[in-house]
Amino acid sequence: MTSATDWAARLARTSFIELDARARAAALLDDGATHELCGPFDRIESPWLEPQGVVPQSDDGVVVFRGRLGGRPAVVIAIEQAFQGGGIGEVSGAKIATALSLAARDSRGGATTAAVLLLETGGVRLQEANLGLATVAEVCSALLELRPLAPVVGVIAGALGCFGGMSIAAGLCTKLIMTEEGRLGLDGPAVIESEAGVAELDASDHPLIWSITGGGTRTRTGLADELVLDDVAALRSAVIGAVAQGVPAEHRSQRSELRARIEAARPSGTHDVVAGGAPPMSRGRAWTQALADGGVNGGVPSLITADLTLGDDIARILTVVPDPHSPYHRARRGQVGLREGLALASEVTRTVTEDAHLPDERRRPIVALVDLPSQAYGRVEETLGIHQTLAAAVDAYATARTAGHPVIALIVGTALSGGLLAHGFQANQILALDDPGVLIHAMHKKAAARVTLRTVAELEELAGRIVPLSYDVTDWAGLGLCDELLTVENAGDPTERDVRKAKDALTAAVARARRGPRDLSNRLDSPGARRTRAASHRVREALTSQWD
Amino acid sequence: MQTLTYEFPADRPPARRTHVGVVGSGDLEVLMTPANGTARVRVRTSVDGFDTVWRTVLERFFARHPVSASFELNDFGATPGVVTLRLWQAIEEGRA
Repeated sequence: MTSATDWAARLARTSFIELDARARAAALLDDGATHELCGPFDRIESPWLEPQGVVPQSDDGVVVFRGRLGGRPAVVIAIEQAFQGGGIGEVSGAKIATALSLAARDSRGGATTAAVLLLETGGVRLQEANLGLATVAEVCSALLELRPLAPVVGVIAGALGCFGGMSIAAGLCTKLIMTEEGRLGLDGPAVIESEAGVAELDASDHPLIWSITGGGTRTRTGLADELVLDDVAALRSAVIGAVAQGVPAEHRSQRSELRARIEAARPSGTHDVVAGGAPPMSRGRAWTQALADGGVNGGVPSLITADLTLGDDIARILTVVPDPHSPYHRARRGQVGLREGLALASEVTRTVTEDAHLPDERRRPIVALVDLPSQAYGRVEETLGIHQTLAAAVDAYATARTAGHPVIALIVGTALSGGLLAHGFQANQILALDDPGVLIHAMHKKAAARVTLRTVAELEELAGRIVPLSYDVTDWAGLGLCDELLTVENAGDPTERDVRKAKDALTAAVARARRGPRDLSNRLDSPGARRTRAASHRVREALTSQWD
Repeated sequence: MQTLTYEFPADRPPARRTHVGVVGSGDLEVLMTPANGTARVRVRTSVDGFDTVWRTVLERFFARHPVSASFELNDFGATPGVVTLRLWQAIEEGRA
């Protein structure tokens, strides 16, 4: 029963949800001391939309305000949900990542600067597919750079909610504030329904969807911290409170209660577990076995690990492989699901802990061997919080990289979407096979065509002219995201020569990683990126010069 | 998507530049920058084939409000009523 005071509060409130991104940012900050960075008149638009016949927005849908929150220096970064569904493109992603990095720079210098992220987004903007995905990885990395120094507060007020790769960023936040209207999940209901069928999730069943991803459920199950009324004053006071609490000793993406809940779950239900048989061969398994010094082990059947000698180093390889016996029926084909996210996080963390006593330059290289169809699209996955398990993996990989472990991704097969964000995209160096079986993208063709309201033929035509949309691995490498493309004799079943070549390339990548930066700035400074990511460079320069 | 440009006589410069609106469904954003002697309008619209409607809506607006500035309109299918409202909002916020 609703009390009389509740109604009074509801009637007296000023809705936050009804504000656009700019008004939301201004409403949160202390009066009069706001200053917009990289605003509409800087006119740094997405360079990729107009050639596709899509009208761009002058701020690319992200608003960055500097000011104070309860007297403390802060930057508020607000995503505009009305523009392209809050999708993250090259420019909008670069704005978020750069603002977080600048806050980290100031905080390191003694001027602790908190960040507030207003997350209303469907995730990667599919019109900028591969660059969107790359910037989401950079946002996560920058967030993790700031988080030990100053609080990063996420707000999901609604009405859109926070989905896709940005739900991983939400899972990394120091505190997460939601309203009943807000939703949080890795895959949106329409995507799950179209990938897995209406029996998996009925996207028109709103009560069901809110019972899984809504702010009420997320706060009750500990995947968000505070549930507030849709009211400007309530949100502002919650945000100020969260900023005042500072940096906690342990963050949600490092805590263990989620692991306990997932281990206790019995998900198979009506979908029977397939019985017996040898593990299926996959590119990932074939390459892992070929590269490994000795045997291949695994904590869970879908994550195999091995040691691999690279020059003077003994590296650890981690590979997500198909497990047809998995109780999670949506994660049997090598997808990164609940188990795999947590297993990746614990394997990487174990390596970091074991090497903590060694000097930085002696810490073991970690090779993320990538051959995965995607993340697991499913109802159980969303209910238990797959975004949070992926955040745990991202956190672990970024922590390893920052601690001095050279993290190298070797892409030997498909590498799609959230799966790649969790396993591979936090690497210092990315290597890929130059092979038609290697596919790196934000979403597979049929689904991407459906979401962007195009036919597959139209999408293919566009992909021929718009580089970030391309499904071709050499085009992908041309974006500046790839440190080396390897030509091999047999990508499916590597020959001895292939193995030697891959080991040489990995050894060289380890040396480059040890010499290079420990953040992801090399992705933006590579020769390819200097050409294709000119807009990101403009964002970085404009934000940096306007920061103070 | 279509890009259209128009120019109308205008003699009242605004006091400041302004930005209003969002490139969202049924809406548009307007960037107004003070200029001398004319109202110069560039429209980028997601809906093709409405050149005449745009001309009529803008002509009528600038006949009543001869604000000399450059107007950049990024449109996502706003109706004439919404376009007029956003332009009005832009010049209102640009007053001294």
